[in-house]
Formats: sequence, C-alpha cells, structure tokens
Amino acid sequence: MYLKSITLQTSAYNEMIVLTPQVEETVAESGVKNGMVTVLTKHTTTGITVNEALECLESDIQIALSLFAPEDRPYSHARMLRDYGSTAGNPTGHLKAMLTGNHCHFLIRDGRLDRGGAQDVYFCEFDGPARRKILIIVEEHTVL
Amino acid sequence: MFIDIHVHPAFYEPINRDLAREEMRHEALDIHKNGTAPLAHIFNQMRCAGLDRLCLLAQDYSTSIGQTVVSNQEIRELLDLAPDRFFGFASVDPHDPKAVEKLEDAFLRLGLQGLNLHPGRQKFLPSAPELEPIYAICERFDKPVLFHAGLSWEPDTQTRLGHPLEFEAVAAAHPKLRICLGHFGWPWVRETAMLMLKYPNVYADTACLYFDSAREFYIQTFTRDIPATWIDRSLRHQVMFGSDNPRFEQIRMASALEELGLRDSTLELIRGRNALDFLGLAREGDPICT
Repeated sequence: MYLKSITLQTSAYNEMIVLTPQVEETVAESGVKNGMVTVLTKHTTTGITVNEALECLESDIQIALSLFAPEDRPYSHARMLRDYGSTAGNPTGHLKAMLTGNHCHFLIRDGRLDRGGAQDVYFCEFDGPARRKILIIVEEHTVL
Repeated sequence: MFIDIHVHPAFYEPINRDLAREEMRHEALDIHKNGTAPLAHIFNQMRCAGLDRLCLLAQDYSTSIGQTVVSNQEIRELLDLAPDRFFGFASVDPHDPKAVEKLEDAFLRLGLQGLNLHPGRQKFLPSAPELEPIYAICERFDKPVLFHAGLSWEPDTQTRLGHPLEFEAVAAAHPKLRICLGHFGWPWVRETAMLMLKYPNVYADTACLYFDSAREFYIQTFTRDIPATWIDRSLRHQVMFGSDNPRFEQIRMASALEELGLRDSTLELIRGRNALDFLGLAREGDPICT
C-alpha cells in the first residue's frame, strides 16, 4: 500500500476543490501498475465526491445541498459540546457530508487512473474556512 | 469598518511554537479538538465574516495557574504581524503585586489599547479597593477595560463575581472610564441593559452563544430576553459586536446580527463605530448616527 496525506487550507464556508491532479500524481509516484486508489477525507463536515468539473454544476450542487440542509432550520446539533468547550454550529456541514460521502475509489490500469472523461475528484468543504487532511491510498492488486 | 471586539488568540499558530504551552491553553480554557490556526486561516475567517479588525485579548492568570494564558508580549507580537488587522488588549492579574507596573508597561512600551479582566477567573470583585490603582492607570492613559461578565465556561470560575450589578460601583465611581461587560453579562442581559441605560460609560459586547444556533440564540437574547427596540432606540451607541472566538462562531454570529430587525444605522454602530468610540479611536468630526 502507498499512502499520501495532503493538507488543504480552505478559504470559504462552502467550497468545492478539484483534487484529480493530486490523485493522479500520487498514483504515478506509487509505481503501482494495477490496483485501486481511494481518496478519503478525515473530517465529518467535508466530503469527497466525483462529478464533472464545471462551474455551473458546482453551483447547482451547492444549491441542491443547501435545499436539503438550509442554514435556518432548528437542528438538534446546535448546542454547546462539553468535549470541545465550544458550540457546534455546523449541523449543515455534517448533513451535507453525509450526502456526498467521505471517499471515492478508482481503478488503476497500466499505472494510470481509469476514470471517465467527465469524472473529476472533488474535495467538498462544508464548514470552512479550515485546515483539512485528506488521505490518498494506493493499493496494488493482481490482475487474474 | 467591522470590528470583533472580543477575540482570544490563544491558538494562533505564531504564538504556539511550544507544544507544552499549547496544551496548557487547552486545559486552562477548556477548549479542545480545535488545533492551532495559521494567520492565513484567521484572515480567511475574517473575510467570510466580513470583519476588518479583531481585538485580541491577553489573559493573565498568574496567581491561579502560575502563568499567563496569553501574555501582553504575545499580543504585541501578533499585532506586529498584522498591524492593520488587529487591536490588542493587555491583561494583568489584580492579585499580582506588580500588576500596576505591568499594566503601565503594556500601555507605554507595548502600545496595547486596553485592559482585559476576568473577575470570575481571577477571583476579585470589580469594586474591590485593590482595583483602584489599576483603574487609575487606565484613566490616566485613557484606555478602556473589557470585563468578562456573566457565565464563563472556563474552569475554576465563580459566576457571581461577574454579575452585572458588581460593576455598578465601578461605572459610578469612574464616569470617564469606559468599561465593557463582555458576553452582554449573559444570562443577566436585562441587568446589563439597565446599567448601560444608567451609565453611558458602560458598553456590552454580543459575545454570547450558550444555547442553540447563533441565529436562534441572538433572536432569543436580543429580541425576547430584551426587546430589540431597547438596543435600537436607547443602547445603540453602547453595544459592540464580539464573538469570543474560538469558543463561539465568528462567521455565523456576524451573520446573525442581521436577523434582529435593527435599523441599518444601528447595525453600523454595533459593527464598528461603537468599538472605535470604546477604544478611543473615533475621530472628531466622524459622523455619528443619532
């Protein structure tokens, strides 16, 4: 297994950042010819999703997620958390992260990411700005 | 100019090179799992909240925990890193025999712009005679005092010492000393409003978010516990925006201000002009909304 951790400093409350170049670079570094790559966020108010990297779609995705988890709903998670000593004002981030999921997988064939022409890997920030960690995990598999 | 008058920089990266000191801060403040923040993150957060300036507060708990949580010198270092983004307040421990000397140094040498005190944590009554030399220094240098008032989440605190009524004698005896009741003295917001109505040298900040979301808590506190009209009509020159960040959420609190139904001119005062008055930085001839 080849593992790479990357850190992002996000700059907005909600933000979508294309990670495809970093994923392709990590696969190349790993030297793995055939296998699987997993991209995994280490946070619960961020997501990883795969979609077409278009500004219009980013806008539509953000609006759709906001309809599902609007800021002004009375959420149970809006309260002081003793373990943190601070308020949990980010229920919308948790709910949006639930929809996108926290990871994606791609096959690696002949040392390259086997992705569709319109597929890009997105890191989704839902409670920014913040410093975020993402794992890129490359695993070698035997082709039968 | 939009100012957050109540910010604790305990976890700012430039003053957290020492892991033991960072760990001490987590324990002393009972704030956990937040990590440290590079200034780039702070500036991003300010941009998202629409803030132009933060007022960074030192915290000197020398006699209770044996050290400062954030020292006056550390506040100066942060100011030097971003002089156009930060104001800085000193702190001294009133039980420290060198408190007066340290405060003079903070104003004269370090150029700090006010004093931050926490009666409940530092274990003093605001009206105690021992405080008089400290207030005298602030009056001599025309520097304001920001008091922690009302509930404190910090460990080893006595809430009664920060009850708004404990500040009345100070406000009355020192009419030229500008004092701020942090956190609006929550939960005693009506008592805080009473003091502000009676004493024009008493200010309060909005750094409270103890239940619910920022929007829900602000609506409860500033439209129901006290009617919004009290602020909009009578106290509009004495309320300042504060977040108590990182305990509370700067971005959503800044946004929640807009949900209170206040006049635009009142919002402008709360966002910035009142803080400039409190800091003694409002210039002659600046327009004042009445």
